[in-house]
Amino acid sequence: MRIAAFTKTYKGRLVLNMPETTLADGKITAVIGANGSGKSTLARVLSGIETADRKLHPLSGVAVGYMPQKSYAFRMSTERNIALNGGDAARRERLMNALRLQALGKQRAKKLSGGETAKMALARILMGRYELLILDEPTAAMDMESTLAAECLLADYCRESGCTVLLVTHSIQQARRLADEVIFLHKGEPVEQGETSTVLSTPAQPLTRRFLEFYGL
Amino acid sequence: MGSSIQKAIALILSADRELLNILGATARVSLTSSVIALLIGVPFGIALGACRFRGRGALVVINRTLMGMPPVVCGLLFYMLFSGVGPFRHLKLLFTVKLMIIAQVVLITPIVVGNMETYVAALAPSLRETARGLGFGRGKRFLLLVNECVYPIFSVYLLAFARAIAEVGAVSMVGGAIAWKTNVMTTAIMQYTNRGNFTLGIALGLILMALSLLVNVALSLLQRRLSR
Repeated sequence: MRIAAFTKTYKGRLVLNMPETTLADGKITAVIGANGSGKSTLARVLSGIETADRKLHPLSGVAVGYMPQKSYAFRMSTERNIALNGGDAARRERLMNALRLQALGKQRAKKLSGGETAKMALARILMGRYELLILDEPTAAMDMESTLAAECLLADYCRESGCTVLLVTHSIQQARRLADEVIFLHKGEPVEQGETSTVLSTPAQPLTRRFLEFYGL
Repeated sequence: MGSSIQKAIALILSADRELLNILGATARVSLTSSVIALLIGVPFGIALGACRFRGRGALVVINRTLMGMPPVVCGLLFYMLFSGVGPFRHLKLLFTVKLMIIAQVVLITPIVVGNMETYVAALAPSLRETARGLGFGRGKRFLLLVNECVYPIFSVYLLAFARAIAEVGAVSMVGGAIAWKTNVMTTAIMQYTNRGNFTLGIALGLILMALSLLVNVALSLLQRRLSR
């Protein structure tokens, strides 16, 4: 999947400068980088929530699904929140079971905890069908058990639907477990992109190496 | 004071005709004006809170200014427009319940708009981001936003009704506090107090408080039932 080159400026400050980039079709690409490196801005521009400079849209004619960092729980039950995004009841049941949400189905979604809301939001987005699915730290509020369950679901979704997934994450371990490719962002620019195992074990760029050293890798 | 309250309670229990007439006029003015203000103000407040357009900031400032408009200024404005030398004198609305309702609507609508705008502006960005991320169109996003506004509509209605029932400045100017016609509880309390008739004043005050309590309790119960 080809992403056209674009820039994003906030109040005169360039926060993202993306050259033309290609994402591996039907694969999971993780975007890693320090705070303020432009990961979330990249996700928001690609999803169309924010416009790039000169109102360019780097992805045209692509059905994009996007799960923000803090997903909104609509004023209805957990089950209805998930059903809002279409899909059949069997699939909803499967997702709810996998994420251990079945007992919370009738509960008001507003009363869910942060981690439960994140699980509900993940189940909801996975009910849809997209060509590109962008997830901004989807498991940040989840415990380890739920994180692993969410990763399994994501991998299954990608394999079954052939959807390309762009995963913004702070967790290098998660990128290693889940992603086929990695993009390392630094100060709004992609420094390195490649296969996960290659980039994380033998990074070509000194900036990537320094970043990974912080994680003891 | 104690005997006045006792007399007032006796007057309420006796279902005094003048008291009932004042009560009827008050209910008509307060309920009608607060419902109309709600019907106008809620959609406008939601639109102002959710949409970003040129001039939005100016509209918010104008609305906030109108929220603080003194009732007597509103009353004066309507008095001038509808009095014998005003441009709308041919409508013959001065000193009628209709004009009291119109003046109340003008006073209350900005309060409804302002409260809805504040509530919606706080939740709209996060709701919009999630809904757009799911690929929902404008229509579905709007319906979801309205669904989020059910509770604030209750609170805003309470606020509007409280303002309407307690208002005295505008209704006394455009209604004239005419006995058996445009006298509402607040204007009647003022009249009776000026005449030294504290019994009727206290009776009306007690009813005013009881009515306010009743509406609050009823709406709170309804709100609680809906939230289950």
